[in-house]
Amino acid sequence: MNLIRLWAVSRKEFVQIRRDARSLYLAFILPLILVLIFGYAITFDIRDIHMAVFDQSRSQASRRLIEVFEGSGYFTVVAYLDGYDAASGALETSAARLVLIIPPTFASDLSKETGASLQLLVDGADANTATIAQNYAEAIVAGYSADIVLKGRRVQFPVAAESRIWYNETLESRNMIVPGLVAVIMSIIAAMLTALTVAREWERGTMEQLAATPVHRLEIIVGKLLPYVGIGILDVAVASCVAVFLFDVPFRGSVLLLGMLTLLFLVGALGLGIFISAAVKTQVLATQVAMIATLLPALLLSGFIFTIATMPLALRAITYVVPARYYVAVTKGIFLKGVGASVLWVDAVAMIVFALIGLSLAIGVFKKEIA
Amino acid sequence: MPDAVRVHELTRRFGDFVAVDRVTFDVASGEIFGFLGPNGAGKTTTIKMLTGLLPPSSGSAQVAGFDVGAQTTEVKHRIGYMSQLFSLYADLTVEENIQLFAGLYGVAGDRYTARRDWVLDMAGLAEHRRRPTGQLSLGWKQRLALGCAVLHEPPILFLDEPTSGVDPLSRRRFWDLIYELASAGTTVFVSTHYMEEAEYCYRLALMNRGRLIALDRPAQLKRSLTHPLLSLRTDDPPKAVEALHGHPLVIEAAMFGRAVHVLVADEARALAELPQVLARSGRTCDELQRVSPSFEDVFVALVRQEGGAVTA
Amino acid sequence: MRRVAPSRVRELVKKEFRQLLRDPRTRAVIFVAPLIQLVMFGYAVNTDIRDTATFVVDLDQTAVSREFVTAFQSTGYFRIIDRSQRPAALTEALNSGRAIVGIEIPVGFARELSSGHTATIQLVFDGTHSNSATVAQGYAQRIVQRFALDHASVSGPLPQGGVDLRVRAWYNPNLQSRVYNVPAVVGVIIMMVCLLLTALAVVRERELGTLDQLVVSPLTPEELMLGKTLPVAAIGVADLILISSMAVLWFDIPLRGPRIALFVAALLYILAGLAVGLLISTISKTQQEAFMSMFLFLQPAIILSGFFYPISSMPPVFQWITLLNPVRHFLEIIRTIFLKGEGVIGLWPEYLAITVIALAALRLAVVRFPKTMAS
Repeated sequence: MNLIRLWAVSRKEFVQIRRDARSLYLAFILPLILVLIFGYAITFDIRDIHMAVFDQSRSQASRRLIEVFEGSGYFTVVAYLDGYDAASGALETSAARLVLIIPPTFASDLSKETGASLQLLVDGADANTATIAQNYAEAIVAGYSADIVLKGRRVQFPVAAESRIWYNETLESRNMIVPGLVAVIMSIIAAMLTALTVAREWERGTMEQLAATPVHRLEIIVGKLLPYVGIGILDVAVASCVAVFLFDVPFRGSVLLLGMLTLLFLVGALGLGIFISAAVKTQVLATQVAMIATLLPALLLSGFIFTIATMPLALRAITYVVPARYYVAVTKGIFLKGVGASVLWVDAVAMIVFALIGLSLAIGVFKKEIA
Repeated sequence: MPDAVRVHELTRRFGDFVAVDRVTFDVASGEIFGFLGPNGAGKTTTIKMLTGLLPPSSGSAQVAGFDVGAQTTEVKHRIGYMSQLFSLYADLTVEENIQLFAGLYGVAGDRYTARRDWVLDMAGLAEHRRRPTGQLSLGWKQRLALGCAVLHEPPILFLDEPTSGVDPLSRRRFWDLIYELASAGTTVFVSTHYMEEAEYCYRLALMNRGRLIALDRPAQLKRSLTHPLLSLRTDDPPKAVEALHGHPLVIEAAMFGRAVHVLVADEARALAELPQVLARSGRTCDELQRVSPSFEDVFVALVRQEGGAVTA
Repeated sequence: MRRVAPSRVRELVKKEFRQLLRDPRTRAVIFVAPLIQLVMFGYAVNTDIRDTATFVVDLDQTAVSREFVTAFQSTGYFRIIDRSQRPAALTEALNSGRAIVGIEIPVGFARELSSGHTATIQLVFDGTHSNSATVAQGYAQRIVQRFALDHASVSGPLPQGGVDLRVRAWYNPNLQSRVYNVPAVVGVIIMMVCLLLTALAVVRERELGTLDQLVVSPLTPEELMLGKTLPVAAIGVADLILISSMAVLWFDIPLRGPRIALFVAALLYILAGLAVGLLISTISKTQQEAFMSMFLFLQPAIILSGFFYPISSMPPVFQWITLLNPVRHFLEIIRTIFLKGEGVIGLWPEYLAITVIALAALRLAVVRFPKTMAS
């Protein structure tokens, strides 16, 4: 590798990027906008779940129960119904997510030994929200039930669970989303930027021109990589600052480690982009392949939203070839868990392997095409 | 017959830059009209305005009697256009490209069959009709592009540097095709920066820095250079040009390949005195003789008369 | 609108189809990639809490403590990946992400229980998966309660009576998240196909110089737009049929509603996608720019669609913004038609919204398009 030639390639790339103001603008603004939107907009927290009530009892006890539901903050009663048809209608039209049905004998049953029973219809379509809503409802009914049964007496439960949430004590969705998001956005942007620039050189025939000079393939590839690594690092730095200073996301690990692992990740992701574009050679196709190879996999298979550990085995195996997976682990690990190299070395090794594979694939394609 | 193209005070600005500056000329029906000038002289911009690709900033232009700004559709049916870039679809086959453009210009039925065969024959691509266009050599591509531009037999054909990058033999063949089209009555408007191609045109417009600096028949243009032209061979042409500048006999001295072309006021005195001038500044004079001017000489002289520098 | 000559449009459509379908790699992008994506992501989009990786530190090592662990395991929600006697091992397991739930049973757990005191268990959840953590915490609490009730009889009589809640989930009795999410994946893939095939269409022709050749011909902007969009619309519909069938056949997602309603919604949705793609194509000068703009639209469109984040939990401003998002409306429609089947009439606001979005984007594209053609 000759540093002078390497620098010549890099400088050309830098100049081209700088001239193309709109692209440069997008490369910086895009991640920032996305982090801002998602930081503000997204939350998994489920509040104000719309519920409807079909109260056949119309007693003091039933009104008390409804008050407890409303007072919890999780539920908002949007309608009082007067029949089973209305109950199913409320779910069909999505007017309510759940319907609480209180039987006519509710108040009188409470004093009996068999107890009273309530029916809860849940719109199961959105299983996730339904599960959480169901959990809340069960907890509320259990509390209400205990009050009735014990009538103020205290009882001692033989086992108590002391739950603690680590890393994200308040279960703030934002804390979980923003660090992962930085990783997802970077993996997409990295592949696309390089995918397009290399394909453009093929389309315009300038790649053959470069190949005719004494510049070595590795120098072309690394030379093209460098400016984008620079942009990528800056992107991550800006996004991280927004996360920490604007969204108060905790940053518990080492900045230096994050920087180094980001570097590793970028080389791999950019190498993948170069490989794609060297293999397909037109911008349109490079775009399409890069988009398919990165956008949804980075969102869905990286552990960003869907927990990898709960995926089927075959799919879990596939996630190992999604580079974003490792980087999501890195950002979450460093931001939230505050873990260091002793834990993240596994991901680091995986990303090194990726970088090497990406680069050698790219070189391989170049070798075949130019020689 | 009315003029094929009438251009009056046509101007195009890009921000502060004036690409075409108040250009006025007419092109007669059936002639081969050449547009000569270095890259960036404004040739392509003018052609783009005449073909409706670019709206003019001011001035007017009529093509086939229709205004290019207001009557675009009428104009489009009556012109063919071929750009300096290869602009057919590389991933379609030869025949599919022909089919596409025939369809766009409404060439159908028997007329389509006839025109397709004519193009394939003209371009010599009959055996390659099912090959993807991207695999053809540049010369072939250009003949095919020309064929696609004249599928609908337009009365006026615009060619923007059609031969750039092609080998001399293919270039020659291409001009034969242009002559063929012109003799069949097509008006051909062609731009080039190859000075030797200018000889093929009936009339020539010379452009520099967005302005039309001369317009005449090629022979007349050469005759406009009334002073004798000498060609000098010397050991160091740049230094020789420097030494000759400012001498009372010398009107203009410029590099011309490895030689120096000198425009002089008096041929006999110059042939006698210039070798001494060169010797005084330490230059050799290996050869000095009168030559007939080329378009490049005419061009350089005209630009100097205008008091400007040559772009590009 | 100027006159549209069907013959010119037909010729252009033919050309587009040839270019799209000739290259085997492009064919793969169009037909194979959506299928693979659907299958892969169909498995990935699973928020069900099952087999949650759980690490156990049992310092008590008694029959009762083992019974407690078994109670967790037998529900199917938790999968014990490892046990240790060292509390530090639990920290390591969570730090490395090997486990996302930790259970620590203190020394003397069995003794406290039998002596009538309250024995305390430590439960730890990895909050970096805040969604899973919330749900898993709910399950864990219930398991502990049940265990407590079972052992309460030993320590004293429990009051009878109380309230019993019977929950019935409609449309999706087992509360499988996949049933809800796979139709959403269908919607997202369709949008992606539409954008990928249109956003670069015009820019690319400009960069290659072929656009000029079209512009000097009698082709009008309207004809060019039609020629570019009709083939993609056809491909979009083909992909929709392909991957919806896959969702039904492979993942057993019930298709309960009328197919025609889904088809109409898909047509409107594809139209909206094409219009957005064309619009991007008209505002971009280079393919790279077009690509970035596409990404800038697609990424928020997916995240703000209600695909995985409930829209009702977003701040009001963002809830309004999502009204402009065609993906949001289509997901609402496709999920309802697939799962509920009934109440299609009630979806009219969503149909209306997609129609308005599609027409507005199309209108903008039509206005901008001629400018694109005039270099």
